[in-house]
Amino acid sequence: MLHRRIFQFLIVYLLGIGLLFGLKLALNLSDYVIPGPIGVWHTGQAEFPRYMGDVMDTFAVAVIGQALSIMMALAVGVAGRRATWFGSFIKVAAYNVQAYPIVAIAPILFILLGDGFLTRLFIAAMICYFPLLLSVIGIMSEPVADIEHFYRVTGRLRWQLEVKIRAFENLHKLTTVVSGSATLAMAGTIVAEFIAANAGIGYSIRIALYQSDLSKILVALFIIGITLSLYQGILELLGAGLKKTWASG
Amino acid sequence: MILNRYICVKQKDPKPSKLQGEFSFREKMIACHDITFRYPGAETPLFDGLDVVIDTPGFHALFGPSGVGKTTLAKIISGDIDTFSGQVNAIGDMPCLYTYNRERLPGWSPVGRHLEKTTPRGRQPLRDELIDHFGLSELMGMRFAQLSMGQCNRANLLRYLLQDFRILIMDESLANVDEPTRQAILYKIKSIFPEAGFLYISHNVVEVSRFCDQIVVFRGAHKSPQTLRVAGQDHHENQPLDKRALERSMLEIMNAA
Repeated sequence: MLHRRIFQFLIVYLLGIGLLFGLKLALNLSDYVIPGPIGVWHTGQAEFPRYMGDVMDTFAVAVIGQALSIMMALAVGVAGRRATWFGSFIKVAAYNVQAYPIVAIAPILFILLGDGFLTRLFIAAMICYFPLLLSVIGIMSEPVADIEHFYRVTGRLRWQLEVKIRAFENLHKLTTVVSGSATLAMAGTIVAEFIAANAGIGYSIRIALYQSDLSKILVALFIIGITLSLYQGILELLGAGLKKTWASG
Repeated sequence: MILNRYICVKQKDPKPSKLQGEFSFREKMIACHDITFRYPGAETPLFDGLDVVIDTPGFHALFGPSGVGKTTLAKIISGDIDTFSGQVNAIGDMPCLYTYNRERLPGWSPVGRHLEKTTPRGRQPLRDELIDHFGLSELMGMRFAQLSMGQCNRANLLRYLLQDFRILIMDESLANVDEPTRQAILYKIKSIFPEAGFLYISHNVVEVSRFCDQIVVFRGAHKSPQTLRVAGQDHHENQPLDKRALERSMLEIMNAA
């Protein structure tokens, strides 16, 4: 699972880099526009430690934001799973809010909260919260009739058991959704850093952009990708482990 | 929550003391009168003024080809479907349970632990007896997903038999179970629960003719009457089987259908 994730990222990254170098060769572009492989390698050697620190900074914010989103989505998703007015309200609200590009309200947060940790955290959490919420509501509001029937007709179906059955039966889906939301959280944090933050890899990429230094951007993308692949692979492993432990409980 | 599943599932007339002057509505084990039901989106109703009566407790059957409404009527009787018109009465102060053959046990614990948790207090000896008779003793440490389809159905039926019920509707509950085991299970159920009512849904004409007392044969909504009642042999273990009478029952069922 873990090695597959990393392998997939490396293929995509190398294809992308290969395409750039191909363009450079085909159009005879200067190193200023697209640097050569040696230039990228040297930039990587020079910038790797600093960029690694920046990625870890961004990653920490993204993970905390994602954890907050997961907790909120689970709580609201469980509460809103029923076909009550509250459940319907939650679903309609989530669908409508999700349709809006949340990142567009990031400037408001920067104006209100400044460009520190909290703003980045809020934006990361908001960007991955609504897709997570929709998935959790979808999973939790779908009865597993073949299992729940017995508990329902014998009067044993408490909400905790209902949630447990639905979570157990959809653990693979939940793991995939949580793993996918990691990308959203990371993207949210980087976008926040692009806009106005003063730390993180998004901030460093913004500086590299002002310098028109594609090498630095490619090095940053590599570190972001490999970190995210590792994280998603670990999340999937944890999900598989949880399922195995639960099923053998 | 179970209380509303007991007797009157739905009634147009709050005082249905007599129907058509034939019988007392409340004295029958199951009495369905003037049931009309149409699935959402269907052009024609599945039931149109259907009357079904099962007089006494015992082992009875709903029989007929696929799609004629056996499961639908079972769900109407048990209260799983309540969007019909007409009256349904089931005798007794305990629930009418409906079980079907695709039900599953949760995968997070072994079958044995699940049965322990769902066995009401004081029924452990019954549980152990049924586990033994259902041939499930060796499987108690296994997960539901590890069982064969027949084993799954036996484990599922077993947990229902441990619950409080006045009527248990078994919708193909012994599908995929081999014939000797199925026979042993049916004899056991009949001997342990003589006072309860069972509605057995099966497509096996020999089985329903042999084991069931009354067989409600479904003929489809376009025929009148929609159902016919045929007497089965209600055979018990260690009792001689009248093979000619069994054949007669089978013929009657086939003719009725």
